[in-house]
Amino acid sequence: MTYSSSLAMSRSRFAGRNQNAVSFRVEERTLGPISNTIILIVLACLLGLLYLTQVTKTNAYGFQINSLQEQSATLQTQHDDLEVASARLQSLPKVQASAAAKALTPVAPSDTIQQ
Amino acid sequence: MAYTASRAGSVNSTVKRVRTWYALLLLVIGIFGVRLFYLQVIRYDHYKTAALHDQLHQKVIPATRGTIEAHDGEKTIPIVLNQKLYTVFADPVDIKTYKTDVDKAAVRLASTLGGEVDGYAKKLQAKDTRYVILAKKVTPEQRTKLLSYKLAGLYSEERDYRTYPQGSMAAQVLGFVSDEGQGDYGLEQALNKQLAGTPGELKAITDQSGVPLAASRGNVQTAPKNGDDLVLTVNMGMQAQLERILADQYKKTKSKGLSAVIMDPATGKIKAMANYPSYDPAKYSEVNDPKIFENASVSEAIEPGSTMKLLTAAAALDQGVIKPDTTYFDPSKFVIDDFTVKNIEEDGGARQQSIASVLNLSLNTGATWMLMQMGGGSINTKARTAWYDYLTSHFQFGNDSNIEQGYETAGLVTKPANNGAGINLTYANMSFGQGILVTPLQMTAAVSSIINGGTYYQPYLVDSTTDSNGKTTTTKPKVVKQNVVSPEVSRAMIPLMEYIVDEHYKEGFSYLNFSDSYAVGGKTGTAQIANPSGGYYADKYNGTYTGFVGGNDAQYVITVFNTQPSVNGYAGSYGGQPIFGDIAHMLIDNGYVTPKTR
Repeated sequence: MTYSSSLAMSRSRFAGRNQNAVSFRVEERTLGPISNTIILIVLACLLGLLYLTQVTKTNAYGFQINSLQEQSATLQTQHDDLEVASARLQSLPKVQASAAAKALTPVAPSDTIQQ
Repeated sequence: MAYTASRAGSVNSTVKRVRTWYALLLLVIGIFGVRLFYLQVIRYDHYKTAALHDQLHQKVIPATRGTIEAHDGEKTIPIVLNQKLYTVFADPVDIKTYKTDVDKAAVRLASTLGGEVDGYAKKLQAKDTRYVILAKKVTPEQRTKLLSYKLAGLYSEERDYRTYPQGSMAAQVLGFVSDEGQGDYGLEQALNKQLAGTPGELKAITDQSGVPLAASRGNVQTAPKNGDDLVLTVNMGMQAQLERILADQYKKTKSKGLSAVIMDPATGKIKAMANYPSYDPAKYSEVNDPKIFENASVSEAIEPGSTMKLLTAAAALDQGVIKPDTTYFDPSKFVIDDFTVKNIEEDGGARQQSIASVLNLSLNTGATWMLMQMGGGSINTKARTAWYDYLTSHFQFGNDSNIEQGYETAGLVTKPANNGAGINLTYANMSFGQGILVTPLQMTAAVSSIINGGTYYQPYLVDSTTDSNGKTTTTKPKVVKQNVVSPEVSRAMIPLMEYIVDEHYKEGFSYLNFSDSYAVGGKTGTAQIANPSGGYYADKYNGTYTGFVGGNDAQYVITVFNTQPSVNGYAGSYGGQPIFGDIAHMLIDNGYVTPKTR
């Protein structure tokens, strides 16, 4: 037995006693299959939830767009109705039938103008 | 030892149970898998179709039909607009299913929409149908009131309807739009495609209430391309007064129908065009006689009578076979193909005549003589060919004018080849406006071309169009033929036409009294009416007149066709000429004519 091997044996004998500073045992802690599955399911759920919130939000915009389009169509209809009413009020038959028009004197015909 | 054996047995049992359940689970998953494969792969098309049937909504987005405006001085005013109205209809099956009180519903319908209660009750209980129209053109207010009654089985659908703020004005020029959205007659028919636009399309996955889901891929929305808006060349003030004049003269002359056209001879723009009787396009469905829908100014070709002599003279002058101051001996009758062409008794017998007197006295023999000069002294192939060429190639008779109107007729011009049926007599007749069919519009455009320097402009009604992008395109006058007659001939025709008006005024037609500041000329026409069984009626005539009003230049050409007026005198002088007089005065009195400055 050499000195060095004797020293090594004596160190190994007292290894437990001297391990106050550094642990020589490395214990590997890994996730089991159940944990992995649960995490994957939770992640999938989270992704699904994210998708659903986004789709719901987008569809809500769809409602908003639809509502605005309806509003626009209503306003356009009102505009058209007002345009029709305005045109009718300014129409020749309406003007001719007005009190102001009835009070007017007919224009003299051109053959009497030169007489 | 016993404990160890017992524990091993327990472990084996657990493993077996787990394996059994595992196998069962795999079996269930396998069954699910097979079923899913069947549903999602094998039956893919079926379920996709079924799902889309409920979720996919496809609809046509209608294009808005273009509006129509007309000139009113410097501005334009709408004459045809669109209005959203509703068609209210019932589903008698739903009414039965929902146990709607029919009597109560009928009363409410009658009180809201008008009409008979019994009529509505009958419609609500109709059998063998699920769609009964109760009312059309229902206003939004009426619809809202009906909805407030919550009558199950009653529905409404929105539709664009044409509305006419100016009432029946220019009805036959405009035409109307049928319930199917198709333009009929007039502008609506001729420009249906341009006015209608192109409908859009919506294809989208929707929720239960039909709202498109924005997140859905594959949604398709094509915007509609609205129809073009039109501005007409028509002057509304002029149009309104022309219609009033025709309505008055219809009664005065006890006419069967009147047509009149006012055109700008320098461009071909139609300033007014009317017929009487007319109709209200908003109530077109109430018209019994579809003939009323036609714009007779473009669709009714008649023998124009002596107004044609203006064109015969212009053609002869343009060929150089006569001069404006030519005189000749008129024999007062010509025998052609065994028939005698003669004048009316008042024109006197055989004597020396001039071109001016031929036109003023409206000598049939004079017109025949002018035709003869085109053939070197007789009506022959040369004369017929030359006259036919002028009629069809210069004056454009027998051709569509291509004005933006439905049901335009080209009229009729007999070809010059000898047909063995008295072709020389036919051509003699054509020289004074018989045996040839022309429309008021054709006559207006032809006479315009002989007094505007010799250019035939295509008559047109659409002054400008504005497309759905807001781009406005103004119509440019289109020259159909230049050198219809030479400028010299054109200059000669104006005083000849003025001479006729002056002479008629002197003869006692006092309404032809015009200020010297204006140039007014024209020609009457009294046309015999062809009898379908051969020959002409002895006692039926049409009265026509074609003339112009202007200052330094002719500014308006006016043509009047009066169908069978009951007047004491010649139909042209007493049925056509007074209407021309009224129209000419109207144009002058309203300041539409720029007076002479030289």
